[in-house]
Amino acid sequence: MKKSKYIIGFLFSLLMTIIIAQGCSSAKQIVEAKSGAQLWAENCIRCHNGPSPTEFNDEQWKTIGLHMQDRANLTKMETDKIVEFLKSAN
Amino acid sequence: MLQKLILAGGFVLCFGALKAQDTIQDQINNLKDDVTTLKRDPNTNFMIRGFSQFGLDAGSDNVNFNMTSFNPVLLWRQGDRFLFESELEMEYMSNQFGLNLGYANASFVVSKGVVVKVGKILIPFGTFGEKFHPSWVNKFSSAPLGVGHDGMLPMADIGVEVRGGLQVGKSKLSYSLFCVNGPRIKDGTEEPTEAGMLSFENANDNNNNKAVGARIGFLPFSNSSLEIGVSGYYAKPGSKTSPFAGDTLNEDLNYKDVTALLFAGDVAYIKVINLIKGTIDIKGQHNISNVSKATYLNPEDTTRYTFTNKCSSYYVQLAYRPALVANNVLRNFELVGRYSVYNTPKGSLWYSNQSQIEVGLNYWFVWRTVLKISYQISDGAMGGSGMGNMPGMSGMKTSMFLIHVATGL
Ligand code: HEC
Repeated sequence: MKKSKYIIGFLFSLLMTIIIAQGCSSAKQIVEAKSGAQLWAENCIRCHNGPSPTEFNDEQWKTIGLHMQDRANLTKMETDKIVEFLKSAN
Repeated sequence: MLQKLILAGGFVLCFGALKAQDTIQDQINNLKDDVTTLKRDPNTNFMIRGFSQFGLDAGSDNVNFNMTSFNPVLLWRQGDRFLFESELEMEYMSNQFGLNLGYANASFVVSKGVVVKVGKILIPFGTFGEKFHPSWVNKFSSAPLGVGHDGMLPMADIGVEVRGGLQVGKSKLSYSLFCVNGPRIKDGTEEPTEAGMLSFENANDNNNNKAVGARIGFLPFSNSSLEIGVSGYYAKPGSKTSPFAGDTLNEDLNYKDVTALLFAGDVAYIKVINLIKGTIDIKGQHNISNVSKATYLNPEDTTRYTFTNKCSSYYVQLAYRPALVANNVLRNFELVGRYSVYNTPKGSLWYSNQSQIEVGLNYWFVWRTVLKISYQISDGAMGGSGMGNMPGMSGMKTSMFLIHVATGL
Protein backbone atom coordinates (compact mmCIF):
# COMPACT_ATOMS: atom_id res chain seq x y z
CA MET A 1 0.00 0.00 0.00
CA LYS A 2 2.70 2.44 1.06
CA LYS A 3 4.84 1.54 -1.93
CA SER A 4 2.10 2.37 -4.37
CA LYS A 5 1.71 5.74 -2.68
CA TYR A 6 5.36 6.52 -3.45
CA ILE A 7 5.09 5.31 -7.01
CA ILE A 8 2.00 7.44 -7.60
CA GLY A 9 3.77 10.41 -6.03
CA PHE A 10 6.76 9.89 -8.30
CA LEU A 11 4.66 9.59 -11.46
CA PHE A 12 2.52 12.56 -10.47
CA SER A 13 5.53 14.82 -9.99
CA LEU A 14 6.90 13.67 -13.32
CA LEU A 15 3.63 14.48 -15.06
CA MET A 16 3.35 17.90 -13.41
CA THR A 17 6.91 18.61 -14.42
CA ILE A 18 6.19 17.94 -18.05
CA ILE A 19 2.89 19.83 -18.05
CA ILE A 20 4.35 22.94 -16.45
CA ALA A 21 7.36 22.82 -18.71
CA GLN A 22 5.26 22.45 -21.87
CA GLY A 23 3.20 25.49 -20.91
CA CYS A 24 6.17 27.74 -21.21
CA SER A 25 7.27 26.85 -24.72
CA SER A 26 6.74 30.39 -26.02
CA ALA A 27 9.58 31.51 -23.78
CA LYS A 28 12.05 29.24 -25.55
CA GLN A 29 13.41 32.13 -27.60
CA ILE A 30 14.42 34.00 -24.45
CA VAL A 31 16.63 31.07 -23.52
CA GLU A 32 18.04 30.67 -27.00
CA ALA A 33 18.97 34.36 -27.10
CA LYS A 34 21.16 34.04 -24.00
CA SER A 35 24.88 34.59 -24.45
CA GLY A 36 27.54 32.07 -23.45
CA ALA A 37 28.73 34.47 -20.75
CA GLN A 38 25.28 34.66 -19.19
CA LEU A 39 24.78 30.89 -19.30
CA TRP A 40 28.21 30.45 -17.71
CA ALA A 41 27.32 32.92 -14.92
CA GLU A 42 24.02 31.18 -14.24
CA ASN A 43 25.05 27.55 -14.54
CA CYS A 44 28.63 27.23 -13.41
CA ILE A 45 27.87 28.50 -9.89
CA ARG A 46 25.15 25.96 -9.17
CA CYS A 47 27.39 23.37 -7.51
CA HIS A 48 30.73 25.07 -6.98
CA ASN A 49 32.30 28.50 -7.50
CA GLY A 50 32.45 29.24 -11.20
CA PRO A 51 35.99 29.08 -12.59
CA SER A 52 37.17 32.10 -14.56
CA PRO A 53 37.89 31.60 -18.29
CA THR A 54 41.62 32.19 -17.75
CA GLU A 55 41.97 29.05 -15.61
CA PHE A 56 42.32 26.64 -18.54
CA ASN A 57 43.29 26.55 -22.21
CA ASP A 58 40.97 25.79 -25.14
CA GLU A 59 41.56 22.04 -25.24
CA GLN A 60 41.06 21.77 -21.49
CA TRP A 61 37.82 23.77 -21.65
CA LYS A 62 36.48 21.33 -24.25
CA THR A 63 37.23 18.44 -21.88
CA ILE A 64 35.73 20.23 -18.89
CA GLY A 65 32.70 21.22 -20.97
CA LEU A 66 32.06 17.58 -21.81
CA HIS A 67 32.61 16.56 -18.19
CA MET A 68 30.17 19.16 -16.87
CA GLN A 69 27.60 18.53 -19.63
CA ASP A 70 27.52 15.00 -18.27
CA ARG A 71 27.76 15.72 -14.52
CA ALA A 72 25.34 18.67 -14.47
CA ASN A 73 22.96 17.42 -17.20
CA LEU A 74 23.50 20.62 -19.18
CA THR A 75 21.75 20.90 -22.52
CA LYS A 76 23.89 20.68 -25.65
CA MET A 77 23.13 24.32 -26.47
CA GLU A 78 24.25 25.50 -23.03
CA THR A 79 27.44 23.47 -23.16
CA ASP A 80 28.41 24.66 -26.65
CA LYS A 81 27.75 28.31 -25.85
CA ILE A 82 29.55 28.18 -22.51
CA VAL A 83 32.62 26.43 -23.96
CA GLU A 84 32.74 28.93 -26.83
CA PHE A 85 32.62 31.78 -24.33
CA LEU A 86 35.33 30.27 -22.11
CA LYS A 87 37.57 29.68 -25.12
CA SER A 88 37.12 33.23 -26.38
CA ALA A 89 37.80 34.85 -23.01
CA ASN A 90 40.82 32.90 -21.75
CA MET B 1 101.94 36.25 -47.01
CA LEU B 2 99.62 38.85 -45.49
CA GLN B 3 97.20 38.29 -48.38
CA LYS B 4 97.18 34.57 -47.67
CA LEU B 5 96.46 35.19 -44.05
CA ILE B 6 93.57 37.56 -44.85
CA LEU B 7 92.16 35.03 -47.29
CA ALA B 8 92.41 32.25 -44.75
CA GLY B 9 90.82 34.50 -42.07
CA GLY B 10 88.01 35.48 -44.44
CA PHE B 11 87.44 31.86 -45.32
CA VAL B 12 87.23 30.87 -41.66
CA LEU B 13 84.78 33.76 -40.95
CA CYS B 14 82.53 32.87 -43.90
CA PHE B 15 82.56 29.24 -43.01
CA GLY B 16 81.80 30.08 -39.36
CA ALA B 17 78.87 32.32 -40.38
CA LEU B 18 77.52 29.64 -42.69
CA LYS B 19 77.91 27.05 -39.97
CA ALA B 20 76.08 29.33 -37.48
CA GLN B 21 73.28 29.86 -39.99
CA ASP B 22 73.08 26.12 -40.43
CA THR B 23 72.74 25.62 -36.68
CA ILE B 24 70.00 28.28 -36.45
CA GLN B 25 68.24 26.70 -39.41
CA ASP B 26 68.52 23.30 -37.70
CA GLN B 27 67.11 24.73 -34.51
CA ILE B 28 64.22 26.34 -36.37
CA ASN B 29 63.53 23.03 -38.11
CA ASN B 30 63.59 21.21 -34.79
CA LEU B 31 61.17 23.74 -33.28
CA LYS B 32 58.88 23.35 -36.30
CA ASP B 33 58.90 19.59 -35.78
CA ASP B 34 58.12 20.03 -32.08
CA VAL B 35 55.19 22.33 -32.82
CA THR B 36 53.82 19.90 -35.41
CA THR B 37 54.10 17.06 -32.89
CA LEU B 38 52.34 19.12 -30.25
CA LYS B 39 49.65 20.12 -32.71
CA ARG B 40 49.08 16.56 -33.82
CA ASP B 41 45.93 14.92 -32.46
CA PRO B 42 44.29 18.09 -31.23
CA ASN B 43 41.27 15.89 -30.75
CA THR B 44 42.45 14.15 -27.62
CA ASN B 45 43.10 15.75 -24.30
CA PHE B 46 44.19 14.25 -21.02
CA MET B 47 43.81 15.97 -17.66
CA ILE B 48 44.55 15.07 -14.08
CA ARG B 49 42.26 16.85 -11.67
CA GLY B 50 40.61 15.75 -8.45
CA PHE B 51 40.62 16.95 -4.88
CA SER B 52 42.10 16.61 -1.44
CA GLN B 53 41.25 17.60 2.11
CA PHE B 54 43.37 17.80 5.21
CA GLY B 55 42.42 19.02 8.67
CA LEU B 56 41.91 18.73 12.35
CA ASP B 57 38.93 17.37 14.28
CA ALA B 58 38.84 18.34 17.94
CA GLY B 59 36.36 16.57 20.23
CA SER B 60 36.28 16.64 24.02
CA ASP B 61 38.25 13.38 24.29
CA ASN B 62 40.58 13.50 21.34
CA VAL B 63 42.11 15.83 18.85
CA ASN B 64 42.97 14.35 15.50
CA PHE B 65 44.78 15.49 12.40
CA ASN B 66 43.01 13.98 9.41
CA MET B 67 43.85 13.43 5.80
CA THR B 68 40.24 12.95 4.84
CA SER B 69 40.68 12.69 1.12
CA PHE B 70 43.19 12.62 -1.68
CA ASN B 71 41.30 11.71 -4.80
CA PRO B 72 42.97 12.15 -8.19
CA VAL B 73 40.52 12.29 -11.09
CA LEU B 74 41.69 11.32 -14.57
CA LEU B 75 39.87 12.72 -17.57
CA TRP B 76 40.55 11.70 -21.14
CA ARG B 77 38.62 13.21 -24.02
CA GLN B 78 38.57 11.91 -27.57
CA GLY B 79 36.93 14.24 -30.06
CA ASP B 80 33.84 16.19 -29.07
CA ARG B 81 31.71 13.36 -27.80
CA PHE B 82 33.77 10.80 -25.94
CA LEU B 83 35.00 11.19 -22.35
CA PHE B 84 36.61 8.75 -19.98
CA GLU B 85 36.53 9.74 -16.32
CA SER B 86 37.87 7.95 -13.30
CA GLU B 87 38.41 8.78 -9.66
CA LEU B 88 40.84 7.10 -7.32
CA GLU B 89 39.91 7.44 -3.67
CA MET B 90 42.98 7.27 -1.50
CA GLU B 91 42.67 7.35 2.22
CA TYR B 92 44.88 6.92 5.20
CA MET B 93 42.89 5.83 8.21
CA SER B 94 43.64 3.65 11.24
CA ASN B 95 47.29 3.54 10.15
CA GLN B 96 46.35 1.96 6.86
CA PHE B 97 46.50 3.16 3.32
CA GLY B 98 43.37 2.37 1.37
CA LEU B 99 42.78 2.69 -2.35
CA ASN B 100 39.32 2.52 -3.76
CA LEU B 101 37.94 3.12 -7.24
CA GLY B 102 35.41 5.95 -6.82
CA TYR B 103 34.25 5.70 -10.40
CA ALA B 104 35.65 4.76 -13.81
CA ASN B 105 33.46 5.03 -16.85
CA ALA B 106 33.24 6.01 -20.47
CA SER B 107 30.55 8.36 -21.69
CA PHE B 108 29.44 9.12 -25.19
CA VAL B 109 27.21 11.99 -26.34
CA VAL B 110 24.84 10.12 -28.65
CA SER B 111 22.70 13.08 -29.64
CA LYS B 112 21.67 16.50 -28.37
CA GLY B 113 20.10 15.43 -25.10
CA VAL B 114 21.39 11.88 -24.70
CA VAL B 115 24.62 10.76 -23.04
CA VAL B 116 25.29 7.05 -22.60
CA LYS B 117 27.70 5.88 -19.89
CA VAL B 118 29.14 2.48 -19.11
CA GLY B 119 31.42 1.37 -16.29
CA LYS B 120 31.53 2.19 -12.63
CA ILE B 121 29.28 5.22 -12.36
CA LEU B 122 28.32 7.58 -9.56
CA ILE B 123 24.68 6.77 -8.87
CA PRO B 124 22.45 9.73 -9.69
CA PHE B 125 20.22 9.10 -6.70
CA GLY B 126 19.50 12.46 -5.12
CA THR B 127 22.20 15.05 -5.63
CA PHE B 128 24.73 14.86 -2.82
CA GLY B 129 26.55 11.70 -3.88
CA GLU B 130 26.91 12.64 -7.50
CA LYS B 131 27.05 16.41 -7.55
CA PHE B 132 28.23 17.75 -4.20
CA HIS B 133 30.52 15.17 -2.61
CA PRO B 134 34.03 16.34 -3.68
CA SER B 135 35.63 18.11 -0.74
CA TRP B 136 36.06 21.42 -2.57
CA VAL B 137 32.40 21.32 -3.66
CA ASN B 138 30.98 20.26 -0.28
CA LYS B 139 30.80 23.33 1.95
CA PHE B 140 31.45 21.23 5.06
CA SER B 141 34.34 18.89 5.71
CA SER B 142 32.01 15.93 6.30
CA ALA B 143 29.00 14.53 4.47
CA PRO B 144 25.51 15.01 5.95
CA LEU B 145 24.24 12.07 8.01
CA GLY B 146 22.87 9.20 5.94
CA VAL B 147 24.26 10.17 2.54
CA GLY B 148 27.99 9.60 2.94
CA HIS B 149 29.96 6.44 2.25
CA ASP B 150 28.53 4.59 5.25
CA GLY B 151 25.03 5.92 4.78
CA MET B 152 21.84 4.35 3.47
CA LEU B 153 22.24 5.22 -0.22
CA PRO B 154 24.00 3.82 -3.26
CA MET B 155 27.07 5.94 -4.09
CA ALA B 156 28.65 4.15 -7.06
CA ASP B 157 28.04 0.89 -8.88
CA ILE B 158 28.85 -0.92 -12.11
CA GLY B 159 26.38 -0.73 -14.96
CA VAL B 160 24.96 1.48 -17.70
CA GLU B 161 23.33 4.87 -17.61
CA VAL B 162 21.47 7.11 -20.03
CA ARG B 163 21.24 10.76 -19.07
CA GLY B 164 20.93 14.27 -20.38
CA GLY B 165 19.45 17.73 -20.18
CA LEU B 166 16.57 19.01 -22.28
CA GLN B 167 15.18 22.46 -22.85
CA VAL B 168 11.40 22.44 -22.37
CA GLY B 169 10.08 25.92 -22.96
CA LYS B 170 11.97 28.25 -20.69
CA SER B 171 12.43 25.43 -18.20
CA LYS B 172 14.85 22.56 -18.22
CA LEU B 173 14.51 18.90 -17.52
CA SER B 174 17.42 16.79 -16.46
CA TYR B 175 17.12 13.03 -16.42
CA SER B 176 19.24 9.99 -15.57
CA LEU B 177 18.17 6.36 -15.97
CA PHE B 178 20.44 3.56 -14.82
CA CYS B 179 20.73 -0.18 -14.52
CA VAL B 180 23.46 -1.51 -12.21
CA ASN B 181 24.53 -4.62 -10.27
CA GLY B 182 22.68 -3.45 -7.20
CA PRO B 183 22.97 -4.00 -3.46
CA ARG B 184 23.42 -7.11 -1.37
CA ILE B 185 21.44 -7.62 1.79
CA LYS B 186 23.55 -8.38 4.85
CA ASP B 187 22.14 -11.62 6.22
CA GLY B 188 23.98 -11.47 9.53
CA THR B 189 26.33 -14.37 8.89
CA GLU B 190 29.37 -12.10 8.60
CA GLU B 191 28.34 -9.10 10.69
CA PRO B 192 25.54 -10.31 12.96
CA THR B 193 24.69 -6.82 14.20
CA GLU B 194 24.11 -5.57 10.67
CA ALA B 195 21.50 -8.11 9.53
CA GLY B 196 19.02 -6.49 7.16
CA MET B 197 21.32 -3.66 6.11
CA LEU B 198 21.93 -3.00 2.41
CA SER B 199 25.49 -3.02 1.15
CA PHE B 200 25.89 -1.13 -2.10
CA GLU B 201 29.54 -1.59 -3.01
CA ASN B 202 29.74 -4.97 -4.76
CA ALA B 203 32.11 -5.64 -7.60
CA ASN B 204 30.34 -8.98 -8.21
CA ASP B 205 26.60 -9.26 -8.15
CA ASN B 206 25.21 -11.86 -5.74
CA ASN B 207 22.25 -12.69 -7.97
CA ASN B 208 21.06 -12.57 -11.56
CA ASN B 209 18.80 -9.55 -11.31
CA LYS B 210 19.81 -5.93 -11.76
CA ALA B 211 18.92 -2.80 -9.83
CA VAL B 212 17.20 -0.04 -11.78
CA GLY B 213 16.62 3.57 -10.96
CA ALA B 214 16.13 7.08 -12.18
CA ARG B 215 16.38 10.70 -11.23
CA ILE B 216 14.35 13.44 -12.85
CA GLY B 217 15.28 17.03 -12.12
CA PHE B 218 13.18 20.02 -13.04
CA LEU B 219 14.58 23.55 -13.37
CA PRO B 220 11.49 25.75 -13.72
CA PHE B 221 13.22 29.13 -14.12
CA SER B 222 15.15 30.13 -17.22
CA ASN B 223 18.09 31.26 -15.05
CA SER B 224 18.51 27.69 -13.70
CA SER B 225 18.48 28.98 -10.11
CA LEU B 226 16.12 26.31 -8.80
CA GLU B 227 16.26 22.57 -9.31
CA ILE B 228 13.79 20.13 -7.79
CA GLY B 229 14.51 16.46 -8.23
CA VAL B 230 12.94 13.09 -7.49
CA SER B 231 14.75 9.77 -7.56
CA GLY B 232 13.69 6.15 -7.34
CA TYR B 233 15.68 2.91 -7.06
CA TYR B 234 14.48 -0.69 -7.05
CA ALA B 235 16.47 -3.83 -6.35
CA LYS B 236 16.23 -7.43 -5.16
CA PRO B 237 19.22 -7.67 -2.85
CA GLY B 238 19.02 -11.32 -1.78
CA SER B 239 20.93 -14.34 -3.07
CA LYS B 240 19.05 -17.22 -4.67
CA THR B 241 20.14 -19.68 -2.02
CA SER B 242 19.79 -19.46 1.74
CA PRO B 243 22.91 -18.24 3.54
CA PHE B 244 22.24 -21.05 6.01
CA ALA B 245 22.11 -23.82 3.39
CA GLY B 246 23.25 -27.03 5.04
CA ASP B 247 22.20 -25.88 8.51
CA THR B 248 18.97 -27.89 8.83
CA LEU B 249 17.68 -25.75 11.68
CA ASN B 250 17.91 -22.46 9.79
CA GLU B 251 18.00 -23.17 6.08
CA ASP B 252 14.38 -22.03 5.79
CA LEU B 253 15.67 -18.46 6.28
CA ASN B 254 15.95 -17.10 2.78
CA TYR B 255 16.25 -13.59 1.36
CA LYS B 256 15.70 -14.26 -2.33
CA ASP B 257 12.31 -12.52 -2.43
CA VAL B 258 13.32 -9.48 -0.42
CA THR B 259 12.85 -6.22 -2.31
CA ALA B 260 14.39 -2.83 -1.71
CA LEU B 261 12.69 0.35 -2.81
CA LEU B 262 14.35 3.71 -2.28
CA PHE B 263 13.09 7.21 -2.91
CA ALA B 264 14.61 10.64 -2.64
CA GLY B 265 13.56 14.21 -3.17
CA ASP B 266 16.13 16.95 -3.57
CA VAL B 267 16.16 20.69 -3.94
CA ALA B 268 18.84 23.22 -4.81
CA TYR B 269 18.45 26.97 -5.09
CA ILE B 270 21.19 29.45 -5.79
CA LYS B 271 20.84 33.11 -6.48
CA VAL B 272 23.00 36.21 -6.47
CA ILE B 273 20.87 38.81 -4.68
CA ASN B 274 21.91 42.47 -4.99
CA LEU B 275 19.92 43.54 -1.95
CA ILE B 276 22.00 41.40 0.39
CA LYS B 277 25.16 41.88 -1.64
CA GLY B 278 25.82 38.24 -2.08
CA THR B 279 24.89 34.70 -2.99
CA ILE B 280 22.32 32.56 -1.23
CA ASP B 281 22.73 28.81 -1.67
CA ILE B 282 20.13 26.36 -0.32
CA LYS B 283 20.46 22.61 -0.70
CA GLY B 284 18.52 19.70 0.70
CA GLN B 285 17.74 16.04 0.20
CA HIS B 286 15.30 13.62 1.79
CA ASN B 287 15.77 9.85 1.46
CA ILE B 288 13.61 6.86 2.30
CA SER B 289 14.64 3.23 2.03
CA ASN B 290 12.09 0.42 2.34
CA VAL B 291 13.32 -3.15 2.45
CA SER B 292 10.60 -5.79 2.66
CA LYS B 293 10.20 -7.63 5.94
CA ALA B 294 12.30 -10.73 6.56
CA THR B 295 13.30 -12.92 9.48
CA TYR B 296 16.87 -12.75 10.73
CA LEU B 297 18.89 -14.88 13.08
CA ASN B 298 20.74 -13.53 16.08
CA PRO B 299 23.79 -15.80 16.27
CA GLU B 300 24.48 -14.89 19.90
CA ASP B 301 21.34 -16.45 21.35
CA THR B 302 20.11 -18.16 18.13
CA THR B 303 16.75 -16.42 18.42
CA ARG B 304 14.90 -15.23 15.37
CA TYR B 305 13.60 -11.72 15.02
CA THR B 306 12.06 -9.42 12.48
CA PHE B 307 11.50 -5.69 12.10
CA THR B 308 10.11 -3.09 9.71
CA ASN B 309 13.19 -2.43 7.62
CA LYS B 310 12.82 1.25 6.89
CA CYS B 311 15.51 3.95 7.00
CA SER B 312 15.13 7.63 6.42
CA SER B 313 17.43 10.61 6.37
CA TYR B 314 17.45 14.21 5.30
CA TYR B 315 19.60 17.30 5.33
CA VAL B 316 19.11 20.97 4.71
CA GLN B 317 21.97 23.36 4.12
CA LEU B 318 22.08 27.13 3.83
CA ALA B 319 25.04 29.20 2.73
CA TYR B 320 25.61 32.92 2.29
CA ARG B 321 28.63 34.51 0.67
CA PRO B 322 28.89 38.31 0.42
CA ALA B 323 30.29 37.99 -3.09
CA LEU B 324 29.20 41.46 -4.20
CA VAL B 325 30.79 43.57 -1.45
CA ALA B 326 33.71 45.74 -2.52
CA ASN B 327 36.10 44.51 0.17
CA ASN B 328 38.44 41.93 -1.33
CA VAL B 329 38.80 39.91 1.86
CA LEU B 330 35.23 40.03 3.11
CA ARG B 331 33.81 38.71 -0.13
CA ASN B 332 35.78 35.49 0.14
CA PHE B 333 34.07 34.52 3.39
CA GLU B 334 31.07 32.23 3.43
CA LEU B 335 28.69 31.43 6.27
CA VAL B 336 27.20 27.94 6.25
CA GLY B 337 24.72 25.99 8.35
CA ARG B 338 23.50 22.41 8.00
CA TYR B 339 21.07 20.17 9.81
CA SER B 340 20.87 16.45 9.12
CA VAL B 341 18.95 13.50 10.51
CA TYR B 342 19.42 9.75 10.03
CA ASN B 343 17.11 7.04 11.38
CA THR B 344 17.70 3.32 11.01
CA PRO B 345 15.05 0.63 11.72
CA LYS B 346 13.67 0.17 15.21
CA GLY B 347 13.99 -3.47 16.22
CA SER B 348 17.13 -4.07 14.18
CA LEU B 349 20.49 -4.57 15.87
CA TRP B 350 21.70 -1.42 14.09
CA TYR B 351 18.90 0.83 15.27
CA SER B 352 19.90 4.42 15.78
CA ASN B 353 18.37 7.79 15.74
CA GLN B 354 20.86 10.52 14.97
CA SER B 355 20.74 14.19 14.29
CA GLN B 356 23.46 16.72 13.71
CA ILE B 357 23.69 20.45 13.52
CA GLU B 358 26.76 22.18 12.13
CA VAL B 359 27.63 25.81 11.56
CA GLY B 360 30.70 26.96 9.71
CA LEU B 361 32.73 29.82 8.37
CA ASN B 362 34.61 29.23 5.12
CA TYR B 363 37.30 31.29 3.47
CA TRP B 364 37.82 30.85 -0.27
CA PHE B 365 41.44 31.53 -1.34
CA VAL B 366 40.57 30.80 -4.96
CA TRP B 367 37.52 29.23 -6.59
CA ARG B 368 38.54 25.69 -5.63
CA THR B 369 40.62 26.10 -2.46
CA VAL B 370 38.85 26.70 0.81
CA LEU B 371 39.53 26.83 4.54
CA LYS B 372 36.54 25.38 6.42
CA ILE B 373 36.08 26.07 10.12
CA SER B 374 33.02 24.57 11.74
CA TYR B 375 31.39 23.49 14.95
CA GLN B 376 29.30 20.33 14.98
CA ILE B 377 26.84 19.05 17.57
CA SER B 378 25.65 15.46 17.17
CA ASP B 379 22.82 13.91 19.08
CA GLY B 380 22.01 10.23 19.02
CA ALA B 381 19.88 7.56 20.60
CA MET B 382 20.98 3.97 20.42
CA GLY B 383 18.73 0.97 20.42
CA GLY B 384 20.58 -1.85 18.72
CA SER B 385 23.29 -3.76 20.51
CA GLY B 386 25.53 -3.32 17.49
CA MET B 387 26.02 0.34 18.04
CA GLY B 388 28.86 0.12 20.57
CA ASN B 389 30.23 3.45 21.57
CA MET B 390 30.26 5.50 18.43
CA PRO B 391 30.40 9.24 18.98
CA GLY B 392 27.00 10.77 19.39
CA MET B 393 25.36 7.39 19.52
CA SER B 394 24.63 6.73 23.16
CA GLY B 395 21.74 9.07 23.71
CA MET B 396 23.95 11.97 24.50
CA LYS B 397 25.22 15.05 22.80
CA THR B 398 28.77 15.28 21.54
CA SER B 399 30.38 18.27 19.97
CA MET B 400 33.35 18.74 17.76
CA PHE B 401 35.38 21.57 16.33
CA LEU B 402 36.64 21.02 12.79
CA ILE B 403 39.16 22.90 10.71
CA HIS B 404 40.04 21.68 7.22
CA VAL B 405 41.59 22.87 4.01
CA ALA B 406 40.12 21.46 0.80
CA THR B 407 41.61 21.87 -2.65
CA GLY B 408 40.35 21.03 -6.08
CA LEU B 409 43.45 19.81 -7.88
C1 HEC C 1 25.55 19.78 -11.03
C2 HEC C 1 26.67 20.38 -10.37
C3 HEC C 1 27.71 21.08 -11.23
C4 HEC C 1 27.53 22.11 -12.12
C5 HEC C 1 26.22 22.80 -12.49
C6 HEC C 1 28.83 22.42 -12.65
N1 HEC C 1 29.78 21.62 -12.07
FE1 HEC C 1 31.78 21.67 -12.43
N2 HEC C 1 32.03 20.10 -11.17
C7 HEC C 1 31.03 19.46 -10.44
C8 HEC C 1 31.61 18.37 -9.72
C9 HEC C 1 30.86 17.41 -8.79
C10 HEC C 1 32.98 18.36 -10.02
C11 HEC C 1 34.04 17.40 -9.49
C12 HEC C 1 34.14 16.21 -10.37
C13 HEC C 1 34.93 15.14 -9.68
O1 HEC C 1 36.00 15.45 -9.15
O2 HEC C 1 34.47 13.99 -9.67
C14 HEC C 1 33.21 19.47 -10.92
C15 HEC C 1 34.46 19.78 -11.44
C16 HEC C 1 34.72 20.89 -12.23
C17 HEC C 1 36.04 21.29 -12.68
C18 HEC C 1 37.35 20.59 -12.35
C19 HEC C 1 37.76 19.73 -13.49
C20 HEC C 1 36.83 18.58 -13.75
O3 HEC C 1 36.27 18.52 -14.86
O4 HEC C 1 36.64 17.74 -12.86
C21 HEC C 1 35.87 22.40 -13.45
C22 HEC C 1 36.95 23.19 -14.16
C23 HEC C 1 34.45 22.68 -13.50
N3 HEC C 1 33.78 21.76 -12.73
C24 HEC C 1 33.89 23.70 -14.24
C25 HEC C 1 32.52 23.88 -14.38
C26 HEC C 1 31.92 24.79 -15.34
C27 HEC C 1 32.68 25.66 -16.31
C28 HEC C 1 30.57 24.70 -15.17
C29 HEC C 1 29.49 25.40 -15.95
C30 HEC C 1 29.30 24.90 -17.27
C31 HEC C 1 30.32 23.72 -14.11
N4 HEC C 1 31.52 23.25 -13.67
C32 HEC C 1 29.07 23.38 -13.63
C33 HEC C 1 29.71 19.81 -10.41
C34 HEC C 1 29.13 20.78 -11.20
